[in-house]
Amino acid sequence: MNKKDLIDFEKRVQKVYEAGEIKAPVHLSGNNEDQLIEIFEKIDKDDWVFSSWRNHYHALLHGFDPDKLFDLIVEGRSMGINSLEDRFYSSSIVGGSLPIALGVAQSIKLKKETSKVWCFIGDMTFETGTFHECYKYARNFDLPIEFVVEDNNMSTNTPTDLTWNKKSKIPNDVHFYEYERNFPHHGTGNWVLF
Amino acid sequence: MKYKDELIRSMDFLAKDERTIFIGQSVKFSGNAIFNTLESIDDSKKIETPVFEDVQMGISTGLALNGFVPITCYPRFDFLICASNQLVNHLDKIEYMSKGSMRPRVIIRTSIGPKTPLDGGPQHTADYTDVFKKMLTNINVISLEEPEDIFPAFEEALLGDRFHATLIIENGSFYNDK
Repeated sequence: MNKKDLIDFEKRVQKVYEAGEIKAPVHLSGNNEDQLIEIFEKIDKDDWVFSSWRNHYHALLHGFDPDKLFDLIVEGRSMGINSLEDRFYSSSIVGGSLPIALGVAQSIKLKKETSKVWCFIGDMTFETGTFHECYKYARNFDLPIEFVVEDNNMSTNTPTDLTWNKKSKIPNDVHFYEYERNFPHHGTGNWVLF
Repeated sequence: MKYKDELIRSMDFLAKDERTIFIGQSVKFSGNAIFNTLESIDDSKKIETPVFEDVQMGISTGLALNGFVPITCYPRFDFLICASNQLVNHLDKIEYMSKGSMRPRVIIRTSIGPKTPLDGGPQHTADYTDVFKKMLTNINVISLEEPEDIFPAFEEALLGDRFHATLIIENGSFYNDK
């Protein structure tokens, strides 16, 4: 999947969403293609990837079949794309995937497997107590898990830095990038009459 | 056999399955009634966790996604409330949300705290069985009322096909009474 493939996929979703064919929210990705392509160069097919409600790019870059993903989105499952076969889990609850990712990482260590867990979270999730519990536990037990903070400074439409009055420092062993989203929290920005 | 003996027999049965792992606070170290049913189990089958109930439930789900069968222990029903997010929003919904590809087998043990000879009060003796039966749509909820209920409940939780996860509720008063 290259940058154009990613953008075209979301445009295809946008088109059917605006035609009123998807009876559920969609959370479209955009404007972070370069950063994600670079990160996914480090992620092996056998690794586990954990994501959130905005998961289309993560799924595609982890090798999810684009047609299968598109069908799930049209079914109304955009907010929770999950497949054991693809080692891909996403949750539409803030911080929801973190403890499960931690458990998979612990299982990998116990079984002495070689795969890794990659957990993508937003900047508001990074500030939660759940993240700090999971991060501390993961590092203290040397679990095979990488955290990636995708910072658009938005939780729905609430600016993270305003609610906390400032943002916490990102540890050196946590991947981090900033971007400005080019789609709204959900939908496409255009009025859709269902 | 008596209530507590049946619990010990059930835990010994679970421990013989190489997939199982016991997780929670006080699975290795004493401090509650559930610990007293795990004493014969080797420490290599146990993960003693910090107090982070919701994370513990998520870890249990994650362990199960990769082939383990966690027996995740919450010594009081009141403490399981703190794990409700991972229990209700994730473990209960995961089969639907993965179109059936994810059926992590997790066995959740909790206990209604006794009121005699000491009354633990409103944060240590609550019984939320009915509300959890309403909230959980894909997790089997079983109350252990009599000693003869106990072994079949754990056997079904480990080997049965109908549910991927089971919440098994003990009653602390029965440890000595039945």
